[in-house]
Parts: sequence; structure tokens; C-alpha cells
Amino acid sequence: MKKDLISMEDLTVDEIKDYLKLAHSVEKLPADERFRLLQGKIMAAMFFEPSTRTRLSFESAMHRLGGGVIGFAEQSATSVSKGESFTDTIHTVENYCDIMVIRHPGEGTARLAARVSSIPVINAGDGSNQHPTQTLLDIFTIEKDLGKISGIKVAFVGDLKYSRTVHSLIRALMKFDVTEFILVAPESLRLPKYFMMTDEPNKYHFYETNHLEEAISKCDILYMTRIQRERFPDLLEYEKVKDSYLLTAAMLEEARPHLRVLHPLPRVNEIAYDVDKTKYAGYFPQARNGVIMREAILLKHLGVKI
Amino acid sequence: MSKRNEKVLMIPKIKLGIVIDHIPAGEGVKILEIISRYEEMQDVPVTLGLNYDSKKMGRKDLIKMQLEFLSPEIIQHISIVVPGVTIKAIKDYRVYSKVVVQAPKVIKNLLLCKNPNCVTNLESGIETLFHAVDEESNRVRCNFCERIFDRSELKPIIK
Repeated sequence: MKKDLISMEDLTVDEIKDYLKLAHSVEKLPADERFRLLQGKIMAAMFFEPSTRTRLSFESAMHRLGGGVIGFAEQSATSVSKGESFTDTIHTVENYCDIMVIRHPGEGTARLAARVSSIPVINAGDGSNQHPTQTLLDIFTIEKDLGKISGIKVAFVGDLKYSRTVHSLIRALMKFDVTEFILVAPESLRLPKYFMMTDEPNKYHFYETNHLEEAISKCDILYMTRIQRERFPDLLEYEKVKDSYLLTAAMLEEARPHLRVLHPLPRVNEIAYDVDKTKYAGYFPQARNGVIMREAILLKHLGVKI
Repeated sequence: MSKRNEKVLMIPKIKLGIVIDHIPAGEGVKILEIISRYEEMQDVPVTLGLNYDSKKMGRKDLIKMQLEFLSPEIIQHISIVVPGVTIKAIKDYRVYSKVVVQAPKVIKNLLLCKNPNCVTNLESGIETLFHAVDEESNRVRCNFCERIFDRSELKPIIK
């Protein structure tokens, strides 16, 4: 039976661990061996909205495994712009490839595609709903950097209200027994309360603060996100808060020695360039891990064992 | 005059029909609204009683309909909007069958998703699907956009 990757909510801890294990094995394989694994297979990268980073990461993963890539990078290049229904596009493209990677601004589109398609579908982001491959690569990065996931302390900084990356990662980490979270956000962009509601209120602790400095010395992972200007109803408020969430190398003096700073990228002005040279900067290796995790995902969903 | 007789005066017994009983006071109008949306119900005589005394509930609403058979679709709709009511079938003035309807755990193509950016609202002809979030609450999760809603805030689909 074909297997899709649509939502982190569909995955158990054991299934997530399988992806991690596979990613570690992929990383150890020599490039020439890796290149033989998906020869003759074709991945369709169907990007109904632009996302350069995710698309290039998937294409790179497929090329490294020796497979071929077809696709489009925006909706205007498709028959959907001529009035074709989404399901018709799926029914057509499934004849051209072995696996589909879909990014779409509409929420639930990947789930719908998976339902109508006879080949595996990977969700590369559906509106503000899910982006499971980002969450898997984030967990993979944390595990690689710290050697463990359970019991670590994670600080999230920036737009915690709208960031689907943050929402998805918090829920996944809770499954891995991460119980302490520091949430650094301006009042108007705080994490919605329902994310903190669990059946075990005594187990999980969420500390909310407006001050980035407070979090730095207390966490093992500092997960930064972009604060988008368009999220603020009042631009004056944006001007007020934007600089208070700028991480600089000087601020990291009190950090724990093993701390890693992560960011889903692109950064705008949340991380100063002088942080790049510190041992704490983990965001560019995180992008590299993204390709490895996506190689693992392609192999798993195409049923290829290594 | 006893209370029993008062009831008889206010809302007559029916020889053949369907009674929806144990409706929480104030919710009867919601059920009436659902029923009135179905074409097959347009010519059916319906009586709505509001705020009756009830031993079990304090106050309750009541609906009587003169028809032989209530379609499973309408029953399911009622169970989603006002779960826990009793539906009784009446023959020769007597109750010959009754059932307490509970909200289903899976609601297929009966409610519209409220999220305008959900694929079920963007593409035509997509059947909606909701799952109950937990046993006790009235919250349901859209299978597509994964948003959680209170059942009562979602509009029913009338075919």
C-alpha cells in the first residue's frame, strides 16, 4: 500500500524515530552508493506557490539519490491557471512520476491529493496548516547536535502565534518528552493558549517572556523565527519590538556550551551576521540536514531499503 | 387541572408520527431550522413546544411531526446539532420505538468547514469530513485543514 506524508499529527513517536534512523543511515552512505538508490524514479515537485528553499532541497535530495525531477515552481505555470481543478491536475501528473511533492496555499490540499492519487504524496506545506518535512529535519538536527531529544529545554523566539513551523515542532517535541519550553514573543504574537493545553498539565511547563536575554542562558536549543512586519496591525508596534528580538554574538556569552541556534530560514534581521562565526550557529547545517532528511523521506515513501 | 392534562391541551397527541423529546430548552428552534431546510419536510405538519416542565431536565422543548418515517440523514443532522435528544416513533397513539441520538464520532459530508482557506471550500465537489476531538466535548477536527471547531458553529450541508 502506498504511504503518504501529510501531517505530523498522523505520526507516532516510533514512526518519527524510523525517519531519524533512516536519515542517519543515508548520511553515512558514500555518494556513489547513494546515487544508485533511486535511478529510474521520477519525483514531481508541484509548487502551487513559490518556495525556493523547500523546492531546491527536495530536488537536491532526489538528484543525490540518482532520480529525476519534473515540476513547476508557481501556479501561473500550470493548467490550474487555465481553470483545471486541483484533482484533475493530480490525476494527470500521477501518470508522469513515481512520487509527488506538493506545496499549496490551500489548507488540506495535500490530504486531498493523497486521497485521489495512486502514488505517494509528500506534503511540502499546505497554507498555514502543516509542513511535516520541516519538522522532521528540525528534530533530526536537534538529535544530531545534542545527541538526544528527551529532557532538553527549548526556547522559541519571534512570531509564535502564526508560525506553523513552531506549532508543529512544539507538538512533536512534546511527544518526545520535552517538557520545558521558553516562549519569547511580543504580547501580540504569543503562542495560542490551546497549544499549551494537554492531558498532563503538571508534566509540561511553558515559560512566557518578552525578553530574549532571559532565555539564552537557560536553554539547549534557541529556535529563532522571523517576525513579519505584515503580522502587526500597527506598524509602530513592529518598529518597537523588531530590534528587541535581534540575537547578536555578544548576547551569547552566557549561553550553555552546547547551545545551538536554529532557524527555518530565510532570516531577515533576527540573527546578526556575527553569530554565524560562533560555535552556536546551527542554522546552515540545519539546511544541509534538510536535504538528508528529504532523501530519507523519498527512500521510505518509494519503498527503497538501504 | 393536572399537569398531564395541561400538556394534552397545549400539544395534542398524535396517532402516527415522530416525537423529538428531551430537547434542552431553547434548542428546539435549532432542530426546527434543520427540519425546515429539507424539501421532503415542507408539507409535514410540525408542532413545536417550548419550555415544558421536565423531571429529568427542569425545562425542555418538544417537537411533534406527523409523518411515518424520519430519514437517517435528518436524524444524523439533529444528532450533530443537538446531541442527546430522544426520537420516538408513534403508532396508534403509542410509542413503539425510541432512540437517544448521540453525535457521531465521524461526520461525513454533513457540515461545512468554517475555514475559508480549507481545500473543501476552495475546490468544488469535495466531501467534508470531521472527527470528534474527544468523547465529552463538542469539538470536531476538520480532516483536511486540521482546524478544530465547536460543532455548533459549523453550518450543515443541505443537499
